[in-house]
Amino acid sequence: MSRSGGSAEARSIGKPVKLPDAGGWQDAIAVPAAIAGAILTTAGFLMAFLWAAPVNGAAVNGFEMIGDTVVTHQQLISQKIFYFHMPAAIVSFFSLVMAAFYGVRFLMTREQRFDTCSRALMEIALLFVIMTMITGDLWTRFEWGVWWTWEPRLTTYLILMLIVIAYFVLRNAVDEPEKRATFASVVSIIALVDVPICFMVTRLIPSSVHPVVLREGGMSFDMGVTVLVVLIGMLCLGHALYRLRFRALRLSERMEALKEALDERPASHYPSNVQPTIAPPVATPSITELANDPLPDEPDPDEGKPATAVRPNGELRPNKGRIKGEYPTCLLR
Amino acid sequence: MTAKHVRTTTPPLPIPPASLSAISVRGVSKVFGARRALDDISFDVPEGAFVSIFGPNGAGKTTLLRVLATLARPTSGQVVLEGIDTKEEPDQARALLGLISHAPMVYPDLTAEENLLFYAEMYGVQDPKARVNELLDAVGLAHRRHDTLRTFSRGMTQRVAIARALVHDPRIVFLDEPYSGLDPYAVDVFDSLLSDLRGGRTFVMVSHDLKKGLAMCSHALVMARGQLVSFQAKDEIDTVAFERLYRQIVGMGVA
Amino acid sequence: MQYAQSKKPSTWQHFCILLRKDLRREFRTREMLTSMGLYALLVIIVFGAALALTARGVDIVSMGGGLIWVLIVFTSLLGLGRSFSYEKDQGCIEGVLLVPMDRSVIFLAKAVANMLFMLVVEIIAVPLFYFFFMTGSETSSTFLWIIVPLVLGTIGMAGIGTMLSTITMHTRAADVMLAVLFVPIIFPLLYACTTATTAAIIGSVAWMDYFVIPLVIAAGFDIIMLLVCWVLYDFVISS
Repeated sequence: MSRSGGSAEARSIGKPVKLPDAGGWQDAIAVPAAIAGAILTTAGFLMAFLWAAPVNGAAVNGFEMIGDTVVTHQQLISQKIFYFHMPAAIVSFFSLVMAAFYGVRFLMTREQRFDTCSRALMEIALLFVIMTMITGDLWTRFEWGVWWTWEPRLTTYLILMLIVIAYFVLRNAVDEPEKRATFASVVSIIALVDVPICFMVTRLIPSSVHPVVLREGGMSFDMGVTVLVVLIGMLCLGHALYRLRFRALRLSERMEALKEALDERPASHYPSNVQPTIAPPVATPSITELANDPLPDEPDPDEGKPATAVRPNGELRPNKGRIKGEYPTCLLR
Repeated sequence: MTAKHVRTTTPPLPIPPASLSAISVRGVSKVFGARRALDDISFDVPEGAFVSIFGPNGAGKTTLLRVLATLARPTSGQVVLEGIDTKEEPDQARALLGLISHAPMVYPDLTAEENLLFYAEMYGVQDPKARVNELLDAVGLAHRRHDTLRTFSRGMTQRVAIARALVHDPRIVFLDEPYSGLDPYAVDVFDSLLSDLRGGRTFVMVSHDLKKGLAMCSHALVMARGQLVSFQAKDEIDTVAFERLYRQIVGMGVA
Repeated sequence: MQYAQSKKPSTWQHFCILLRKDLRREFRTREMLTSMGLYALLVIIVFGAALALTARGVDIVSMGGGLIWVLIVFTSLLGLGRSFSYEKDQGCIEGVLLVPMDRSVIFLAKAVANMLFMLVVEIIAVPLFYFFFMTGSETSSTFLWIIVPLVLGTIGMAGIGTMLSTITMHTRAADVMLAVLFVPIIFPLLYACTTATTAAIIGSVAWMDYFVIPLVIAAGFDIIMLLVCWVLYDFVISS
C-alpha cells in the first residue's frame, strides 16, 4: 500500500454553509441596473441613428463576389446593427465566462448555489447569443446579400449556441441533482475552452469562398461612445436579468426546501430505543413499551399552531418546537 | 491475525480504542440543496460484527453504504475504517473494503477467471493466479472458469461477484441488497458462502428482508429519512418487538 | 491472509490492465468493430445513393475530404456511445472505482482503447471510400498525407468522446445526448482536419496555409482538450 492518495483536500467540513438567498449587493443593484440598462440601451439606440455618423466601419474592400451577388462598398443603414451586435456578443461571452467560473467554484465546493448561478448565467448567455445571431444574420443579409456564410464570427456563435443548447438538454436528461450539477459545470468549462479555439480555427484557416471583413483603424469617437453606451446598457440589463433569474430559481429551490422540511420527521419522532453511541443515554423506554405505544406522544407545547409562522417582516419561518428537526439553513435567515 | 478477529462477547482489554471499532462514523451528512440524504449520522461498529441496516425506501440506507464504501463523498463528517480516514487516505481505505451489490460488477463477455484476474491485478494482489484459483474453488465454480459469464445463471454470477469482492481479502465487506433477483436455492448457496467467508471480517448489509437481516446480524441499525433511529446489538433486541417497531417506522415513512 | 499484503500497482500498470481488459473484451465479442465497420459501409452506401445521380456534376476530389470526415464522425459516435454502456450495465464501473487507484487512468485507458478501435475502423473505411468513389479520379501525389489529419483528429475525438460518453452514460437517451454534445464541441477539430485532408487530396498550392496551419491547430486542440478532460475527469467519474 503506497501513500499516494493522502491528499488533504481543503473542503468545508462540518459547518452547514449558509445558503445565500436572493439578496446581497448583487441583488440590491439589480433593479437600478435594470432601469439604467433600459435607459442606456434606448439612448444608445437613438444615438446610433441620430448622432453617430454613417461610417464604413464594416465594409467590403472593393468588389467581392459573395454567393451570386456582387457586393460593393456599401454605407447601408444596416451598419447600425453593429451597435447592438457587438455589445450583445460581448455580454454573451462574458456570461459564458462567468458561468464557467461558477462551474469551477461548484466543483470545488459542491454547493448548489454555484450551480444555480452557473445555470442562470448560461440562460443569459443563450439569450444574448441568440440576439447576436439574429443581429449578425440580419447584417450579413444586408451587407453581403446572403443569409448565411461560414464566416468566423457567425460560425463561432452558431457553435456556441449549439453548445449552450446542449448544456440545457444535458441538464434535462440527468435526474439526480448532484450529478446534474457536476456534469453541467464540466460542460460549461469545456464550452469556455472550446469557443476561443473555434473562433481561432475559423479565423486562421483561410477560407477560399468568403472575404474576411476588415475593420480598418479604430472606431471613430462617436461610434466608440455609442458602442460603449449600448455595451454598458446591455451589461446592466444582463446583470439584472441574471439576478432576476437567479432569484426565481432560488425561490423554487427554497420551495423545495420548505416542502422537504414540512415532510421531514426528525429521528426523535420515531419510536426509538437507541442507546446513543456518542451522547450519554437519557432514560429511554424499553423496546417492548415502545412497540406497544405507536407514537411517542409527548405533550406538544405548540399544539394547534401552524407549522410555519409569518415573521413581522413577512418572511416564512418554521415554527420552532413544532418539529424539532434541523431545517435547511435557507429557511432560517 | 485470525484470532484477533474472532468475535468475542468481551473484547480483550489492552487494545487501544481505535482498533475496537472497525467502522467509525462521526457526524456524517450528505446534503445537496434542500435534500438531506444523510443527516448527522454517528455510530461505531466493533470489529467482526455483522451490521444489518433497516429502513423504509428512501431512508438513505444505500447512500450510507456508498459513503462508507467511498463511492460517494459525504458533505461533512468523517468515516474511519480500521483507523484509516476515508477522506484523508482513500486509497488505503479502498484497499481494505469490498462491496457486493445487486449489480454483479463483472463483465459478462469475459470468463470467470478473466474477470477475477482483472480485479486481482487491479488490486495488485500478490500471485493473482493462485488467489483466483483459491476463490473459484471457494465459490464452487472452478469447473466453469473458462466460460463467459453470459452463460451463467444469476445465482452463479452472484457467486462470481462474491469472489470479485473478496479478491483482495478485504477486512470490511459491504453488502447492498445482495439477494435481489436470486432464487431461494441461490439465496441458500449465497448464505452458506457468506458464513464460510466470514473469517473475522466486518460486514455491513442493507436489506429489505427483515427476517433474514435480523437472523444474520449481530447489530441492527435502523434509519429513516436520512437519520439514524437506532443502533443496537442483537443481544439487546427483543426480536418480536423489533419487528413491530420496524413496521411502524416503515409505515410512518410511507405516510 | 497472505494476500492481504498486496502491493498497489503503479499507474502505468493500472493503465495496461484496463486497456488489456477492453481489448480482450473486444477481441472476444468483436461487438464494437463489427458494428462500427458495418455502419461505415452503410454510410458509404448512403453517400452512393446521394451522389450517384449527380456523379458527373460533383467534383469528388474536392469533396472527398469532407465526406471522409462525415463518415468518421458518425462511425465514432456509434463506437463511443457503446464504450461505456457495457461498463454501466453490470455496474462494472463501480467495481473499478472501488479499486485504490488514480481515477484519471480510467480516462486514459478508455480513450486509448477507443482511439485504437476508431483507427482500425478507419483503416477499413477510408480505403473502402477510396475504392467506391475516388478510383476514377486523379488524386494528387500528396494523397497519403491524409494519414496525419486522420490520426490527429482521431486522438482528439477519442479523448473528448470518452469524456462525454462518461457523462452521457448517466443520462436518459444517452446516444442522442452524446451526439448533441459531441458534434459542437469537436467542431474546431473537425474544421481543421477536414481542411487539411482536403488539401492533401487536392495537393493544393497553398500547402502551408491549408495543410500545416490546420494541423498545428488540430494538435493544439488535442493537447488542450485532453488536458482539460484529464483534469475534469475525476469529478465526472466520481460523481
